[in-house]
Amino acid sequence: MAVKIRLKRMGQKKAPFYRIVVSDSRSPRDGKFIEEIGTYDPNQEPSAFNVNEEAAKKWLSNGAQPTEVVGKLFKNAGITK
Amino acid sequence: MLESSRLVKNEQLKQDTLNEIVELSLLFDFYGALLKEQKRQIFEDYVLNDLSLSEIASDRGISRQAVHDTVKRCRKELEEYEEKLSLIKKFQSVKQDVHEIQSIAASIKEHDEIDKIQRIVQLSNRILDEL
Repeated sequence: MAVKIRLKRMGQKKAPFYRIVVSDSRSPRDGKFIEEIGTYDPNQEPSAFNVNEEAAKKWLSNGAQPTEVVGKLFKNAGITK
Repeated sequence: MLESSRLVKNEQLKQDTLNEIVELSLLFDFYGALLKEQKRQIFEDYVLNDLSLSEIASDRGISRQAVHDTVKRCRKELEEYEEKLSLIKKFQSVKQDVHEIQSIAASIKEHDEIDKIQRIVQLSNRILDEL
């Protein structure tokens, strides 16, 4: 079972806000996710990125795949290189 | 020297992908309702749910290439709406002005700086012009 770490768009219309969630890649559409490990808020200046680093590292070491965008967020935050 | 310029470029690249997702999200918020249902769902999965092209493809039983084309076409369509209507541009400029008014109002309240009211008048006139 492939597990992915991806962004999930939340927030009101015209004010995007994202959660970083861990979810099963086979049930992507139904909105279920395994765990929420952080948030990304581009409305603030500069953008606010919060992540539970421990959980992120745990999931990554267990083979969870971050999507391209999440991978970049992690890199920015220095979680991965 | 070369090393550091490459670093800056990478930094820029990273920022761009993030900005792009947010930009596409905004386009979708404003004009998404104008897309045909089928296309709208694919674009929504790609931009709002952060699914990969191949995930969407296997989800819907279509080819990855078809998903890619749809996303690209949707994006073009949405960008054309923005080009013609500029709703996002107006929205962002008004939002920025209102934020400035709020912070000026707060500082007037705190420091009794009546002279700043002139700037509020100026900003609110600009907002009215843009409506």
